[in-house]
Amino acid sequence: MKLPLQPRRDFLNWGARGVGATAFTSLLANDSGAAMQGVVRHHAPRARQVVHICLVGGMSHVDSFDFKPELVKSHGQEAQLAHKPDIFFGKIGSLRKNDWEFKPRGKSGLEVSELFPHIAKQADKLTVIRSMISQSANHTPALFFENSGFEFNGFPSMGSWVSYGLGNDTESLPAYIVLPDGRGDPNGGASNWTNGFLSARYQGVRFGAGDRPVRDLFPSEGIPAKQEFATRHLLGQLNNRHQERTGLDDLLAARIRSYELAARMQLSIPEVTDTGGESEATKEMYGIGAERTDDCGRRCLMARRLLERGVRFVQVFSGGPIGGSPRLSWDAHGDVIKNHGAEAGRIDQPVAALLEDLSRRGMLEETLVLFTTEFGRTPFSESEKGKVGAGRDHNKSGFSVWMAGAGLQPGIAYGATDEIGWKAEENPVTWHDFHATVLHLLGLDHERLTFYHNGIERRLTNVHGKVVREILA
Amino acid sequence: MLPEKTLLRLQLVAAAIVCFSPLESVAEERAGRDWWSLQPLARVEPPDIGQEHVIDAFVFAKLQEHGLGPSGMASPRVQMRRLHFDLVGMPPTVEEIRSFEADPSDQAYLEVVNGLLASPEYGERWARHWLDLARFGESDGFERNNPRNNLWPYRDWVIKALNEGMPYDEFARMQIAGDHLRPGFEGMSAVAFLTAGLHNTVIGSSEFMRRTARQDELEDITGTVGQTFLGLTVNCARCHDHKYDPVSQREYYQLASTLRGVYRREQEVEDSTAVARKAAVDKRLGEISKRVGAIEAIGRDLALARRLAQPGEQLEKPVLPRPLARWEFEGGLKDSVGGLHGTAEGNARVENGALVLDGSSSFVKTSSLERDIEEKTLEAWVLLDTLEQKGGGVISLQTNDGGIFDAIVFGERSPKSWMAGSNRFERSQLHGGPPEEEAHKNAVHLAIVYEADGRITRYRNGVPYDQAYQAKLQSYPKGGAHLVFGLRHGIAPGAGTLLQGKILRAQFYDRALTPDVVAASAGVESNFVSETELLGALDGKERAEWEELRAEAMRIREEVKSIKGTKRKIYTVRADAHPGPARLLERGHALKRKEEVPPGGVAAVQGPSARFGLAANAPDAARRRKLAEWITAEDNPLFARVMANRLWHLHFGQGLVKTPNDLGFNGGKPSHPLLLDWLAGELRENGYGLKHMHRLMVTSRAYRQSSKPSERGRKIDGDNRLLWRKSPVRLDAESLRDSMLAVSGLLNKERGGPGFRDVTLHNNNGTTYYFPFDKEGDLNLNRRTIYRFSPRGRRSTILEAFDCPDPSTTAPRRSVTTTPLQALALLNNDFALRMAKGLAERVEEEAGDDLQRQVERSFELAYGRKAAGEELRLGVQFASAHGMAALGRVLLNSNEFVVLD
Repeated sequence: MKLPLQPRRDFLNWGARGVGATAFTSLLANDSGAAMQGVVRHHAPRARQVVHICLVGGMSHVDSFDFKPELVKSHGQEAQLAHKPDIFFGKIGSLRKNDWEFKPRGKSGLEVSELFPHIAKQADKLTVIRSMISQSANHTPALFFENSGFEFNGFPSMGSWVSYGLGNDTESLPAYIVLPDGRGDPNGGASNWTNGFLSARYQGVRFGAGDRPVRDLFPSEGIPAKQEFATRHLLGQLNNRHQERTGLDDLLAARIRSYELAARMQLSIPEVTDTGGESEATKEMYGIGAERTDDCGRRCLMARRLLERGVRFVQVFSGGPIGGSPRLSWDAHGDVIKNHGAEAGRIDQPVAALLEDLSRRGMLEETLVLFTTEFGRTPFSESEKGKVGAGRDHNKSGFSVWMAGAGLQPGIAYGATDEIGWKAEENPVTWHDFHATVLHLLGLDHERLTFYHNGIERRLTNVHGKVVREILA
Repeated sequence: MLPEKTLLRLQLVAAAIVCFSPLESVAEERAGRDWWSLQPLARVEPPDIGQEHVIDAFVFAKLQEHGLGPSGMASPRVQMRRLHFDLVGMPPTVEEIRSFEADPSDQAYLEVVNGLLASPEYGERWARHWLDLARFGESDGFERNNPRNNLWPYRDWVIKALNEGMPYDEFARMQIAGDHLRPGFEGMSAVAFLTAGLHNTVIGSSEFMRRTARQDELEDITGTVGQTFLGLTVNCARCHDHKYDPVSQREYYQLASTLRGVYRREQEVEDSTAVARKAAVDKRLGEISKRVGAIEAIGRDLALARRLAQPGEQLEKPVLPRPLARWEFEGGLKDSVGGLHGTAEGNARVENGALVLDGSSSFVKTSSLERDIEEKTLEAWVLLDTLEQKGGGVISLQTNDGGIFDAIVFGERSPKSWMAGSNRFERSQLHGGPPEEEAHKNAVHLAIVYEADGRITRYRNGVPYDQAYQAKLQSYPKGGAHLVFGLRHGIAPGAGTLLQGKILRAQFYDRALTPDVVAASAGVESNFVSETELLGALDGKERAEWEELRAEAMRIREEVKSIKGTKRKIYTVRADAHPGPARLLERGHALKRKEEVPPGGVAAVQGPSARFGLAANAPDAARRRKLAEWITAEDNPLFARVMANRLWHLHFGQGLVKTPNDLGFNGGKPSHPLLLDWLAGELRENGYGLKHMHRLMVTSRAYRQSSKPSERGRKIDGDNRLLWRKSPVRLDAESLRDSMLAVSGLLNKERGGPGFRDVTLHNNNGTTYYFPFDKEGDLNLNRRTIYRFSPRGRRSTILEAFDCPDPSTTAPRRSVTTTPLQALALLNNDFALRMAKGLAERVEEEAGDDLQRQVERSFELAYGRKAAGEELRLGVQFASAHGMAALGRVLLNSNEFVVLD
């Protein structure tokens, strides 16, 4: 269906008689729960919106953001560990040094490796946490844990909680949008961006590639625009008559309003996903058109466009399903150089471009950029004892993530792992702490953003979490 | 001064308060044992306000207290639509509405109610509510999310049980212990309630990961049982005492212990008749073996006495039967009897007449067996390198893929003990057997005898090692099995399955050796008395009886083979018959195992005793039977209260307590506490009949009143908890889909069996992905939504947008949202458009070529009423320009179709 890109009055007029614009939000929130759209504000927010780059499979910290000179020295030696590591496949080879050279970057001197040459140039914007720990070294539970604070299916993801707390700044787009890797959804699929027990309004809406980014945005067989307008008109008339007969009920008014919002989405989604109006320079900066970076570049650019229009939470995945050969994620069991080289090559330039672009447009001041991985990788290789293998196993005991933007101290690294990068030693940060910090920056208190479910006032942070104040500006 | 006795009493009371106060009494921040929902049901008389219907007496009296009154009766059409959607999940036909409009008497209404409750659609509708509670999902979830192709028998069982009016207490018992209460299809289907939830199939290699995953699984099962049947969130007490309700951490582990034997598996289940026949046969065999044993004991005593009397006489030595295969390990891996020669894998080698196994890569595999194997004996002479090893197999008979096996295993479940290893421990006794203390110094002789009736006896150095036990005999088909040495099972070396030591000799028999033969083979001097000697000592009468019984037993065993019931695959509970004692885990940590905890209930629940009188290592059957009894006990007040409230919640849109799975401190307070107790009492006194309760609720005026809002009502009770009107309801996802099928005339009424699939399955390296699709002309896709194959993860946008929960946890209360994504789904989804088209085709067929009549018929089908003059005019105008399918699309999106007044 071809639609005019400028909203027309008659297109949006669904005949919601007697419903004042101010009442719309409460009409739409007829489900239980304290928070209505945009009403929760525990303290002054530093950030207004979030873009979350979520790496699937486990990125090696010792090859990227956590330089370990001791690991270089002891390359090829057996790791001297106090306890036998509780790792996934149980094969513990010799220590393996970083495969990419680290250098101090920018004014801050923050060390970033050559694995990410473009992101390295943005080092002065980054706030790296080098002491992350997780509870699970098993992909899907770890990814759930990273996204929802629980290792199981069915708990609301961070994006849903944020939407539940803050609502949306636009009525024309969903509050929480997910841009999965072009090679496929991560394991667990939509369970990674589920609203869980929160209302369906807060579910992550998946935008796919191609000309039909959102399921059922338009009918699969085209319907003439004229008929579409007539449809809406008649629907409005029937609904009005029904409402007159039955009395003005919130539920009926909310449904009428929802069709209006749907029409807005039908206008905005084609508009936001059409990047034709972006300059060639911008596209080039994001790596659009180049084979390796095209997929991620398009999605990073899309993320910026969505944020610009007021979307609350955008999630960009790097990595598809676990398993398979060649691997489609960061799960470098077999060969770190080959795997990480390829994965980083796909996202380095686009992610750096997003940071640069947000910064140039002054959006970084109100936007929180998150760059995370479900866990890190082991400093020892995954191979027979006594050998230096090419791959690394999962490491939940210590790994790195970074944040950037609003309310953070830029160009610093917080926390530290031990000499070889095996365990977080100084200021360990859990996912609950990380989530608490994200909510804090958005003006939300993680202990007060709750929803009752089956006996418990549930939180994103379960019963844990401490804001990492040391990294705040 | 106080008398001494009084003082002492006061001190005791004070001490008791200090010790127990957090659990003992209600405080501001938590509930104690005196919490309202835990108390016995109150005997309640309805208020006398001249109302005929008891529910109305309670509800209207409460309205009066607040200066409100009920609304007038809803129109007959609204009543019919409400009733049909509520009881059968689909709209009434316009004819059904007209018939009630013609005679809207109470009697006519009751007849409709009874008709609907008797229709098969009732079970289909109400099963959906129950499946929400059962977190019924037809895939595992987590990383692999593999499909469960045979969980549907549970769904069919629920439908059938509801349709047949199974009393709710029986309904509950069957889902907790059906496999024990009624083995066969029915019980095995019912008990799948316990295993319908998530299952993590990728759990890592370490003991911590394995134990944690198992504890998570038990929490899911225990929590679901607690919330569903008792409204108690017991799962909140896994790591510490419940923060809000009087449930101690120990009580959580007591409850979890009752379910500790629950494991899951898809398996072949036989129908109840065959199972019952086999059970009768087993019983007779048990009697025979008892009597035979008694006679033999007499004979044995007599024979031993004779030996003492004639010490010089040469004793008859048993003749050792010829094994099917024997490996001497002299210079090679050859079978010196038959053709089962071995091949070395890894570093396995023969040295000094022994097979040497290094415990890291070595094992030996033989060629395939050339005959079917039923009863059997495994035998080996072994010298271990160290006693500190776990899980290695000495000799193992396994299917060629290594999936099914019977083996002599060392130290797998209890350290240093010998076990009859088997796939998933199905034929293993997990506990007992004294620890091995010698096998690293001197070779020991080991044998395991598998008898035709499933009995398994282990021997060490010729004498029985721990008790023999009953299991189910595993047979191995000709050409489909082989033996391995040094590996518990499998086709490649795996951690914790390899033996480190030497095997000096091994034999395999396709028969069950008798104790004397095992002893003789081990070279042990013994008091075993051979059969001939034993019979010789008996008198004629005893010997005749002995022979007769043995003959009967043989005959029965042959007969059993001919009992062939129908079999069906069901994904359900595969119980561990002896799950061993549970332990309290400090802060819930899987490796911080503290004291043993016997199976039991929660003491704060007034009425049935929380002490089950079971030992910590009681068998699974006893534990779950007892749990089912405790939950459904007549005097358990929660059981009836929770269900009465649940039914109210489903009929009226919100419960008397708003949180149907939680009647604890964090849940809601009852809006009508006396009515709740009256309803719970009514449920119990009517033999837990659910249809009786439905009838009671839907015939009340409170239910039949209009949903028109009033200013006064809104002001005083905006949430409508007092029921001054009936709250309007947006159709739930399934009802919406089903009614689209119904009005378009496309509904395929086929009932039961495997679900239809509106998703395609894609397997990528062991992980399954599901993608929704719709297709014209596929009649399967037109079945009711209850028969949909429902994997976890993605669903069609209609179901997803309209709050159909992803079945990850128990969902007692669906959220009801109104979102733009719903509008998009209903306007544009392929299924929705197909339904609009179906409606158009139907009216074209039914109303002929006259456009006006087609439009009239469309309105009748969608709304159950005639189109008003203006509507008709607009409809005809629209349809003549854009077609009937476009009009259908408008009707199916309209508020009157989607919202029930």
